[in-house]
Amino acid sequence: MEVIKLQNIKKSFNENIVLKDINLTVNKSEVVVIMGPSGSGKSTLLRCVTFLEEPDGGIIKLGEQEVTAGSQMNKQRKNDIRKLRQNTGFVFQQFNLFPHKTALENVMEGPMIIKKIAREKAKQKAITLLKKVGLADRMDHYPAQLSGGQQQRVAIARALSMEPMVMLYDEPTSALDPELVREVLQVMKELAKEGMTMIVVTHEMAFAKDAADRVIFMDDGLIIEEGSSYEIFNNPKEDRTKRFLQDVSEEIVLE
Amino acid sequence: MDFTIIIEALPLLLKATLVTIGLALVSIVIALILGFFTALARISKMKLLKIIGTIYVSMFRGTPLLVQIFVIYFGLPQINISLDPIPSGILALSLNAGAYLSESFRASILAVEKGQMEAAVSMGMTYGEAMRRIILPQSIRIAIPTLSNTYIILIKDTSLVSVITVTELLQMSTLIIAKTFEPLTIYLVAAVLYWIVITFFTVILDRFEKRTSRHLA
Ligand SMILES: Nc1ncnc2c1ncn2[C@@H]1O[C@H](COP(=O)(O)OP(=O)(O)O)[C@@H](O)[C@H]1O
Ligand SMILES: [Mg+2]
Repeated sequence: MEVIKLQNIKKSFNENIVLKDINLTVNKSEVVVIMGPSGSGKSTLLRCVTFLEEPDGGIIKLGEQEVTAGSQMNKQRKNDIRKLRQNTGFVFQQFNLFPHKTALENVMEGPMIIKKIAREKAKQKAITLLKKVGLADRMDHYPAQLSGGQQQRVAIARALSMEPMVMLYDEPTSALDPELVREVLQVMKELAKEGMTMIVVTHEMAFAKDAADRVIFMDDGLIIEEGSSYEIFNNPKEDRTKRFLQDVSEEIVLE
Repeated sequence: MDFTIIIEALPLLLKATLVTIGLALVSIVIALILGFFTALARISKMKLLKIIGTIYVSMFRGTPLLVQIFVIYFGLPQINISLDPIPSGILALSLNAGAYLSESFRASILAVEKGQMEAAVSMGMTYGEAMRRIILPQSIRIAIPTLSNTYIILIKDTSLVSVITVTELLQMSTLIIAKTFEPLTIYLVAAVLYWIVITFFTVILDRFEKRTSRHLA
């Protein structure tokens, strides 16, 4: 069953064509990893899915909902986009936690304000989620009092608090010190196992091997190649994919 | 210096100090509201609001407060808007401080990281919810030092409304001097009273500032 379907997504910034014509369907419980060189349009693609950037054209389907890009903004459309966003959990590279709220309050915020759930109920739910990401003992800490890995796990819990149909991750471990990467990937793997539908932009090959049902290689605003992680990593067909994998593995050796 | 003069003048000067504090408090409250909405207007996408906000700020920052006071108190009656000295003073002080405050509010809203608005709306918040819950609480913290500063300047500026016969601290001092012929003594007492009031508010606002920025790295 398809959860999310992107059709003919196009996006330019002024003269710079960033997404040329992206088509992508993700089924329920599928984990899709997107890789590609820096500047190839991966972040822009994720941001277009939730209209953090408005695509110039294309259709985004999430469950039963369909939003067409590039048409005029009015009240109905604003509501549609908001509904789309409520059903997608977005995890940012820089976490973007709310610094004036504790971990617990960060996770309660969406359900309370957007879904109008009663405070006590939202709190119970937030506690459950924070336990799930292994932060039961950090609930009353402010983001500034948490490590990067802990902050990103709170951010994942915050995204989950809206009970999204799909989770989008934009390089969730890129801003982390190497020793903190694992704890975040562990939480993501756990979610994948439970059947969460996820699109993950990451260069963590080990994560892709373990958790991805499909790996997509993007370059220059296009999907160049896709397949299972085994196919992409061991038997890439396109030169650009080969070159990219070469570069990434060299980086790993250098580290 | 003659201490009996000080003792005799003190009750009147203290009463006038309360007028000064009152003027400053009422004006800062109006100025905060005015400055806040002007800041929102200036960052909004609606052209007309933006233009009105920009013109207001530019006019009141670009002219002397004393001229603004004169226009309101002596000028407006000519088009049949007559306000008493105190309302005129409050109007001038709030419009003036509001213009400055809107600048600090605007800067502090823009100083909140872009990712904060994105995180809020990506969960499905409206622009209003994101502003109210996420952006403004952070920007107020950023703005507090400049807010304090504007308030301190406002207290000093209240002395300018003495020229339209509001009997605040400076005007009262002048009135007393007209009877006692002791300008040095009385003006020094007035200066000390201003200094005490301003130091008092500075200390309170500093504490407030420390308390609100407790959790930020
Ligand atoms: N808001 C923006 N304004 C202008 N150009 C942008 C913006 N966001 C991204 N770009 C450009 O789009 C291209 C793709 O960027 P991005 O999607 O961030 O790539 P990736 O995430 O794959 O590194 C880059 O050339 C970048 O400079
Ligand atoms: Mg990116």
